[in-house]
Amino acid sequence: MSNTDIQISICGSAGDGTIAAGDILRRVMADIGYRVICFDVYPAEIRGFGKCIARLRITDQQAYSLKAKSDVLVSLNDSHAIAHAGELRECGALIYENTSIVAIAEGGHMSSHVQPGHLPYPVAFRTLSEKATGANRSRNIVALGFIAGLFGLPAEAFKKAIAAKFKSKAAVAASSVAAFDAGYDAGTQRFKLDDVCFGKPTATVIPGATIEMINGNAAVARGALDAGIDNFFGYPITPATTIMEKLASEMPKHGKRLVQTEDEISAIAATVGAGFAGARAATSTSGPGLSLMTEMLGLGIMAEVPAVVFVSQRGGPATGMPTKTEQSDLNIAVHGGHGDAPRIVIAPTNVDGCYRCAGKAFEMAEAYQTPVIVLLDMYLSNRYETVVFPAHPPFEPNMSRKLGKGENGDGYKRFALTEDAISPRAIPGDKGCMHVVTGLEHNELGRPSDQTDMHLAMSRKRHEKLKAALQHPNFTCHKRFGDEGAVDVGLLGWGSTFGECLEAMYKAQAAGIRCAAMKVVMLSPFPAEAVAAFMDDCRQVLVPEGNYQGQFANLVKANLARPLTSLTRPTGAPVRVEDILDEIRRLAALNQQAKAA
Amino acid sequence: MNAPLSPTGRLPRTAQPVYLDDKLRQIEESGRLGYRSKTLPTWCPGCGYFAIVDGLTSALRQLDIPNEDAVVVSGIGCSSRFPFFVNTYGMHTLHGRALPCATGVKTANEALTVVAVGGDGDGFAIGGGHVPHAARRNVDITYLLLDNAIYGLTKGQTSPTSALGFKTPTSPYENADQPLNPLLMLLSYGASWVGQTYAGRPDHLKRMIVEAMQHRGFSYLHILSPCVTFDKTDRTYQNLDLQVRELPASHDPSDKLAAMREALRPDHPALGVFYSEQRHTLGDALDGLVEKAGGSNAAREPAALKQAGKKARRR
Repeated sequence: MSNTDIQISICGSAGDGTIAAGDILRRVMADIGYRVICFDVYPAEIRGFGKCIARLRITDQQAYSLKAKSDVLVSLNDSHAIAHAGELRECGALIYENTSIVAIAEGGHMSSHVQPGHLPYPVAFRTLSEKATGANRSRNIVALGFIAGLFGLPAEAFKKAIAAKFKSKAAVAASSVAAFDAGYDAGTQRFKLDDVCFGKPTATVIPGATIEMINGNAAVARGALDAGIDNFFGYPITPATTIMEKLASEMPKHGKRLVQTEDEISAIAATVGAGFAGARAATSTSGPGLSLMTEMLGLGIMAEVPAVVFVSQRGGPATGMPTKTEQSDLNIAVHGGHGDAPRIVIAPTNVDGCYRCAGKAFEMAEAYQTPVIVLLDMYLSNRYETVVFPAHPPFEPNMSRKLGKGENGDGYKRFALTEDAISPRAIPGDKGCMHVVTGLEHNELGRPSDQTDMHLAMSRKRHEKLKAALQHPNFTCHKRFGDEGAVDVGLLGWGSTFGECLEAMYKAQAAGIRCAAMKVVMLSPFPAEAVAAFMDDCRQVLVPEGNYQGQFANLVKANLARPLTSLTRPTGAPVRVEDILDEIRRLAALNQQAKAA
Repeated sequence: MNAPLSPTGRLPRTAQPVYLDDKLRQIEESGRLGYRSKTLPTWCPGCGYFAIVDGLTSALRQLDIPNEDAVVVSGIGCSSRFPFFVNTYGMHTLHGRALPCATGVKTANEALTVVAVGGDGDGFAIGGGHVPHAARRNVDITYLLLDNAIYGLTKGQTSPTSALGFKTPTSPYENADQPLNPLLMLLSYGASWVGQTYAGRPDHLKRMIVEAMQHRGFSYLHILSPCVTFDKTDRTYQNLDLQVRELPASHDPSDKLAAMREALRPDHPALGVFYSEQRHTLGDALDGLVEKAGGSNAAREPAALKQAGKKARRR
């Protein structure tokens, strides 16, 4: 078991600096050498008094999800935080303003919601902030100082992070440091139980590697850059926009080009155009944009053009819930569009996976000459984790099938039917290989043909060539965790939910249930053999996911006619570890009953 | 610049059914295919598009653009079959999407000469949302809009440039929708080169394609072309011969208001260069962003191009 496993929640109103405080805290923790996972909650509106929560889980070993109960809850606004008092664990620290800023109704103050077993820490955030800075705006920084003082965290690291955060505003930085000191002193003077205790961080030292605090979208952007992305075309949409924003600032520094297009149709069309011209090109979007892109994805598939599409899912259908997470675009990613249109779909399960999948997507698009969808969701896009980046990008710069001797010239066959169904590819500018790619069914030369034999041969080519993707070099299509051999309950998970699956699995193991979990990263083509082997080992198979229909469970059933239990949670929030654990217990009990009978 | 009219004040009718079949066989036998592809056009005899293929291939020859450095991009429609009939690289994309695909090709490799080709339905109905943006960005491509005011490939339905009162299978009583004025639209969208020509004037057509392709920036060439199969009454060679006129000799292509005034007479379409200006292209703007960010434009050389040992940029 790990020494450190502490979850801190800071809850406030938009404008209290809740998310900013969380941002500083997570950067400090990552700097010190802890592993951190964070997922913030904030309203869809930019202004107003919506609820903001910054949640951080700080550990010394890799964690896979947030915990249902926090160890520390900081209230910057009681009207929002009171509803969350119940998510503080027994003997957890409840830190709140000791006086109210405004007159409040009875029961409106946190002090009347402290539960038996909570350790209450009323703090004069407002007074301390006013004394230190002359204003009450720095209550969030005072709270940070208090946490640092109370738990004995190094003040210098915080001051460095505060200076970095406000580097363009020297006066703000100075007053923030003063506010931090005031909070820190207050914290050191308070009595602390040993329940919430930070152990020594275990810094992993890999030569040349860097450890960074990064969220899923930033990891995607970094993966794209490290894989040598040439062109990006995109249209803003929550929650994918920050991928485009990051690339917009980074790509020109590397001499690369990004264009904001008039809509998603244009974005994917230009991406396919650039891919045809030999560039490593990508676009990013969310569900509504993906709906618009499906026709052009079909062209990419038919014309065998490499293209990469990053998709961050949100609640749907239609406009749905733009700032809430959901895993409900699996169907459209895997099957969307008309005709027999096979494509590659990969879904990372953590932030590190976002980086690797983003980079590998360019390799695969080029190697198998087809569009590749990288499927994230809001929970993964906005979740921060500490990620170890290798010294050298683990991506191949060029995986194009070269033309062999004598293959160019007059009879160049862009769509030659080869043994592995992948044809040597020439690009505009290559002498003697002029050809036309088309959305019409075509012959090996690329000329329109609706002969039945040709349609059969070309359909087979488009499907068969993707099989090689399941053995793509240095890529994890699927992976098994937990107990080996036969198990009582096996979890099949995908995407952001897999972290919760792992946590639940470890808890079930600790409770004496033989349990394993498999993550499926490649959703199309589907790794049927490996998943079948896993399911054969499990007396009960549980498939938890964040949608209503059980889209992944249906994908598994469509590929493998085997019994499974689907657990769907379309709440707009990540699937809860406890819900999965309850279901594991129920299924394990079923096994027991069956044995007894 | 603008072609002179015949002494009668009418443009001579020169388009005749072209038996490309025979012509191509001759060329192929002589071993000089040039910019023609071996695929024979699928159009009806007498279609104005034959003259346009001829115009583009001779423009490519005149401008001495290597076959492999040209990319013809189209959408869907009769005119969009174009890429198959020229011996260059080509993209036959989706209905209405020629311009964004062409933008992608050009952005990926500025050394390529990119020509987008499409019809009136492709460009102004389903693809209408892309035209303003290609024009305002000044993507350095040429857009040949082959306007026959009808949906030919689906057998003659109403298009966004069909005349009021025009009868087709989808408007059996009459077309009640006001036709668009593409020239006026392109002028207001900010296209940096706008011209008009007529498939019945092959010499004028060739000259205009050359001029459009020589223009640095987004050049829009509107080509009036009859559908001889499905339109026997409206946009016919006979009618167009009578309707078209030359732009006045005094017309100044740098005067946008004058160009708009000329465009406001769609019943008597004027042939020639309506408007022309030099300004930053999308490529220039993107190069500028790279410089602002402290990057190097020389670094942009797609890995695939490196492998082919080619420079990505020539200009």
